[in-house]
Amino acid sequence: MNKDKIVPYTLIAPALLLLILYRFWPTVLGLHESLFTTSFAQGGKKIFIGPGNFIHLWNDPVFWSSVIATVLFNVIANPLQIFLAYILAALLNRKVKGINLFRGLFLIPVAISINVSSIIWKLMLDSGGLVNGILDRMGLAPQPFLLSVDQALWSVIWISSWIGVPFWSLFILAGFQSIPRQVYEAAAIDGVSSPQRTFRITLPLMKNSLAFVLIADTVANFLLFTPVLLLTGGGPELSTNVAMFEAYRRGMIYGDLGTASGIVMMLLCLIIIVVGLQSLLFREKK
Amino acid sequence: MKKNGTYSVSHRILTYAFLFIVFIIVFIPLLWSLSASFTPNNRIYEYVAPFSWKAFVPVDFTPEAYGILFGERGFGIVVLRTLVISLLTVVFGGVVAFAAGFGFARFRFRGRNLLFGLVMVSFMVPIEVTVLPLYIMIVHSGWVNTWRGVVIPGLANGLVIFLFRQFFMEIPGSMLEAARVDGTSWLRILRSIVLPVSLPVTIGASLILFLSAWNNYFWPLLVATKPRFRLVQVAISMAIQQQQIYWNELFAGALIAALVPIVIVLPLQKYYVQSVVSSGIKG
Amino acid sequence: MKRILTLGIAAALLITALPLFANGAGSGESSEEKPVNLTWLILEFWNPDTVIAAYQELHPNVTIEAEKVGWGDFFQQNQIRLMSGEGDPDIVSIDLPLVASYGARGWLEPLDDVISSEDKSRWIPAAVESGTYNGALLAAPQHTSTQLLFVNKDLLESKGITPPGTDDRLTWEEVLAAAQAVSEGDIRGFNWEQNTAIYQLQPLPVSLGGKCIGEDGLTVEGFINSPEWIEAFTFYKDVYNKYGVAPKGDTPAADLFASGKLAMFVGGPWNIRRFAAEALLFDWTVSRHPYFEQGEIVTPTGSWHFGVNAAGEDKKAAAEFVRWLTAGEGAGLWWSKDSYDMPAQIALLESFNTIEDFQKPPLSFMKVAAAEARVNPVPRPVTPGFLEYDQLLQAAFSDIRNGADPKKTLDTAAGRISSEMNKYR
Repeated sequence: MNKDKIVPYTLIAPALLLLILYRFWPTVLGLHESLFTTSFAQGGKKIFIGPGNFIHLWNDPVFWSSVIATVLFNVIANPLQIFLAYILAALLNRKVKGINLFRGLFLIPVAISINVSSIIWKLMLDSGGLVNGILDRMGLAPQPFLLSVDQALWSVIWISSWIGVPFWSLFILAGFQSIPRQVYEAAAIDGVSSPQRTFRITLPLMKNSLAFVLIADTVANFLLFTPVLLLTGGGPELSTNVAMFEAYRRGMIYGDLGTASGIVMMLLCLIIIVVGLQSLLFREKK
Repeated sequence: MKKNGTYSVSHRILTYAFLFIVFIIVFIPLLWSLSASFTPNNRIYEYVAPFSWKAFVPVDFTPEAYGILFGERGFGIVVLRTLVISLLTVVFGGVVAFAAGFGFARFRFRGRNLLFGLVMVSFMVPIEVTVLPLYIMIVHSGWVNTWRGVVIPGLANGLVIFLFRQFFMEIPGSMLEAARVDGTSWLRILRSIVLPVSLPVTIGASLILFLSAWNNYFWPLLVATKPRFRLVQVAISMAIQQQQIYWNELFAGALIAALVPIVIVLPLQKYYVQSVVSSGIKG
Repeated sequence: MKRILTLGIAAALLITALPLFANGAGSGESSEEKPVNLTWLILEFWNPDTVIAAYQELHPNVTIEAEKVGWGDFFQQNQIRLMSGEGDPDIVSIDLPLVASYGARGWLEPLDDVISSEDKSRWIPAAVESGTYNGALLAAPQHTSTQLLFVNKDLLESKGITPPGTDDRLTWEEVLAAAQAVSEGDIRGFNWEQNTAIYQLQPLPVSLGGKCIGEDGLTVEGFINSPEWIEAFTFYKDVYNKYGVAPKGDTPAADLFASGKLAMFVGGPWNIRRFAAEALLFDWTVSRHPYFEQGEIVTPTGSWHFGVNAAGEDKKAAAEFVRWLTAGEGAGLWWSKDSYDMPAQIALLESFNTIEDFQKPPLSFMKVAAAEARVNPVPRPVTPGFLEYDQLLQAAFSDIRNGADPKKTLDTAAGRISSEMNKYR
């Protein structure tokens, strides 16, 4: 069995090689920027300032409000999307006529690029847009959606769920499929009720696929900013100014790579903590 | 629930009702964009507010947007080109991630946790952070305006490795051990035992990889701006111009671009069948 | 075991073999003179073929390659490439207010060695002024812009209002009154085309005597929250809220106008060509940019300039091309009568009077635009922090549009912009 020792290394080598070269190394270089700033007194030269960017951020109320927006967004969006994706997957897992058609149809929002779906929803939710047109027809008052401090974040959550729920339901569906049918058959013989079946059989057996969906969805939502960029620009009154958008704005619009990397660095720490807690949650049940 | 998976009538009606509700929510925007893609650009807003059912029917029907798309913008060749790139990404990226996922899931080896941690972190960092160093790297390796510059940096995908690993952990260990005892090679085990039971997740992984290449345009735009490298999303974004947005072209392009991955994945649906692995396991 | 190793090696080999799919990257052609290759990042809908062919004819050793990027990604693409310091592209297309911003970062090569003051006199003065930063010309103007009031004559006449003629200039008070008269049902009276952009809104406070930034190009406190600004943006807020004559939200004003749901909007001359091509179903016209009754006449201005990447390999050759293109023979070849843009060269603007296509409506409105482009144009503030200034003001304007208090919002914006500006001090 000694020979088997190199088997795992052989298996992971190509992937790691590519990852190190095209992800880690650029990541290290990119995050390294957080220790530098551009000096305009010296014609745009890059100078080392150590923790300067972090201190600056620590004292910046806009940064803190973006942290709050990020946390708020994720606390609502992640459970909501996982729950809805689970329901949708359960529906799509039923063997009724035409189910393959539905499975195919629900792929469409997944396949449209996030830029385009953001633009479509921007038009839909506009003050004179289609949704308000329909509300008006139904005798309901028009809503400001993206223009209101109270509704803008919800609108962004809605759009991210419109894309995310069908997408993640695919993987939950794959999880359902990997549960051997015989398990249910045995349970049916034992007379296990339907809710019991969900909690005692389905969920534990799908632990790994659910862990994947939860973690992947969390990471995706922490890093999500395209709808914010295209729909609200972080407004109104900073209500949708999530941390990743703040980083994007500073890095890619203002050209201030140092502060932007600093924000991403802190965001990364936050993601690692959250994901770490999530994986602990799944480990305990073993 | 009967053994062969048929349901009672009320059960079935309920399922359809739910599916229909979700369908409506998901499809209103798509229906509207479909209708708008067949409408002259200056009339798209006519039936939106106040709302009329005509918003969903192209009353002033014109295929003009599709004409421009496939004529002036050469969408046909662009789609083909992107298809090749995306399939390359799926095949190479998929094999690489499949192997790595299996390695992480089924073996204990020194440094496993550390290396897997690196894989996890790799998809927690936004591309915006890596793009500048990566661009400089590609410039220095002389890969600007080459296919490898477009494809290779996107091959290794940490999320897909993670996905495979999670699902491989669910394969009953007894299955693999039995095969090992029989002296079957690992390659054979991967091909004839692991792959068949992991088809649904392989389809999911391929979809992630396909879409990552298909919907990518930030990167190709940077390393390959020559017309001979123009990819689907870049071509779609051309409908957004400084002075005006050509909504009908934007929607037409987006809908066609969405159809391609679906047409590819749809026939694979037949592999979405409840696994019967347990019967194949030796007691 | 051997098989698995072979598999790993095969995979690795396949990856390294991928380069075989690559096309050779640009084969260098040799000529007697030192060959020069220049790259040029341009907007998708520009057509550079004529000027490149003509210039390469004149200078056989120079090869110019234009790379096209769509509008939505242009700034980002430009900026990443310039930030990388890799010298690609050699020739930079710059939207005017970014000149100072790129200049302060050391990305642009001064052009004064190549472009003489005689060359400069060929452009409208506002364009030269805003291409200059710290006393050096960093970007040569190619296009300029202005704004006109577009009017749906049928809608106004249906309410008994006489539409303005092409040389009339309404006051904002008159625009508001007309807008109120026509706003009913799903018809709205008025909007700005880019209704949260400083480009379009700065004439409001400036018409009342307000200023956009301090002399140092960095101080905003006391400028963007001055009484003139607050008065101007109270008017702006009222247009959307108190009077409700303008649609909130981001549906493009030109699209609403074209579908007959918006009676008037202030927008760019590019719409003239668009509406002419779309053959609108109603009678429409343009008139001059509005002003406040007790205020000054002020118009927006500024558009694309070309500059030279300071990290480029052959900056002299690039600068010579830019001079030829913007001040020399190239300018006339670049601008065609079918263009949606307005040239920054005075001679070309004046040629509008003789171009046959421009003699009857609606294309004759182009002549109105050419005249308006030279009526007291006020460039956007020249500041290295323009990106921050622009972004943060845009957010403030959109909040005010949604009903936020103008004074409070502008005070907050001034505070935020000030703290961003500190880094340039």
